[in-house]
Amino acid sequence: MLDAARVQKELVECNKDCHISGISVDLHRDGSSLYHLTGTISGPLDTPYEGGAFEIDIVLSESYPFQPPKMQFKTKVWHPNISSQNGAICLDILKDQWSPALTLKTALLSLQALLSAPAPNDPQDAVVAKQCLNDHTTFVATARYWTEAFAMRTTVGTEEKVKKLMEMGFPENLVRSALENVKGDENMALEKLCSG
Amino acid sequence: MADVDAGHSEVVSDEETSKEFMCPICLDLLYKPIVIACGHICCFWCLHHTMDSIRASKCPMCRQPYIYFANICPLLHNLLMKTNHVDYERRGKETLEIEKSNDCFSSQDIECLNSCCEGTDENKISISDVICSGCKEILFRPSVLNCGHVYCESCMVTLTNDKLKCHVCESIHPGNFPKVCLDLDYFLKKKFPQDYYHRKELFQSTKVRQDQYLNQSSCTSAVVGENSKIEEDLIQMQNLHPCVGCDTCGMIPIIGKRYKCKDCKESIGFDMCEVCYNSSSKRQGRFNQRHTPDHVLLLENSSLEEVPE
Repeated sequence: MLDAARVQKELVECNKDCHISGISVDLHRDGSSLYHLTGTISGPLDTPYEGGAFEIDIVLSESYPFQPPKMQFKTKVWHPNISSQNGAICLDILKDQWSPALTLKTALLSLQALLSAPAPNDPQDAVVAKQCLNDHTTFVATARYWTEAFAMRTTVGTEEKVKKLMEMGFPENLVRSALENVKGDENMALEKLCSG
Repeated sequence: MADVDAGHSEVVSDEETSKEFMCPICLDLLYKPIVIACGHICCFWCLHHTMDSIRASKCPMCRQPYIYFANICPLLHNLLMKTNHVDYERRGKETLEIEKSNDCFSSQDIECLNSCCEGTDENKISISDVICSGCKEILFRPSVLNCGHVYCESCMVTLTNDKLKCHVCESIHPGNFPKVCLDLDYFLKKKFPQDYYHRKELFQSTKVRQDQYLNQSSCTSAVVGENSKIEEDLIQMQNLHPCVGCDTCGMIPIIGKRYKCKDCKESIGFDMCEVCYNSSSKRQGRFNQRHTPDHVLLLENSSLEEVPE
């Protein structure tokens, strides 16, 4: 049986200092179950991921914390140890090196550290790893571009998009739901609004 | 108003202690604490859940391998009962509920160390709650044996001739010298600073003690030799009984011969390893089995693979 008391404690503890750590965990927006959570980590400074907010899908099994949580990047990210296709993560502590004394927060901190220190010799995404090893400049540029394109949707940005689309004559509630449906992509939202 | 304030400050200090003695697994106050040989503390059930039943387990905190599921530490148990009375009782009730539904119990009678102080303020801890089982003074750099009894690190060397044997319960500590339990050490330093530093100064001025302490390494190697066979078996996955632990020394899984009690009625059963079978142990089971010395133990060979000579 899932140790609900522990998970709840973890949530409180983790969100207490999220403004310092840049790490937070919330229930997944589709439900209110403790089994499905969403973690957010801020991209570490002085890396191509700086300024980005990366969302991570977290699924807990019945036997958590005795089994590791299943974690996967929901935000697209260009990194040798994270699949550019589906966000799968290659990190030992999420596999055989898990210990029940680790928590969601420490696991997310490890992911943040992984962003700072890519390990291209033990890759999850072979294409990214190859680029990271052979053409580091392009790798950094691509990682930066992906961060700006996928991980930098701040709330301010959303408000700007809402304002812009409303100026085109669409009602606010429709604009907001359209943006929500396409995860904030302005052009796709416009397309959706035009097609009715 | 004053009463309210006093109550408030008490709550805060309670919280502090519970942070100090928090189990790293359930993130709650430790309940029936067990100190692993590396010095880290876990609740009885939390530790049991993390243990590997077919190979050596690893400490959840430092990953140091170990195979002995130690006994509940009575000193810490009594200490927590006093310092965090309300929470500890709550933990007790919660745990008992789960135990009832699983029909599997942790040890229900943990020795009370400090019965002489009964009648005085129960929730106030004093030096007599934290004394070394050897020198009877306040613990200095405490280490906990497999049997759960606590000694100063420096007193532990006096326990050994060829084997590390507890003065209190006479059980033999398997494996190397246990490491200092730093959580308890920190607590002592904070709670009894004067007495602690007095001990520390005495320790540093006693040259003999230090020499003995230095000699510890040679004693350790003697104990290591004995265990190398066990480690070898573990690595080769030989002679072991998966998912069966010795109820006396706590070895999980049992390596070598396994003796099973045919008189214990509890569903979890009662088993012993060869070493404990040959020693005259009076211990009851770790899971509250009502094992007594007149029960009959039979050699169990079913799960051992036959090795042709």
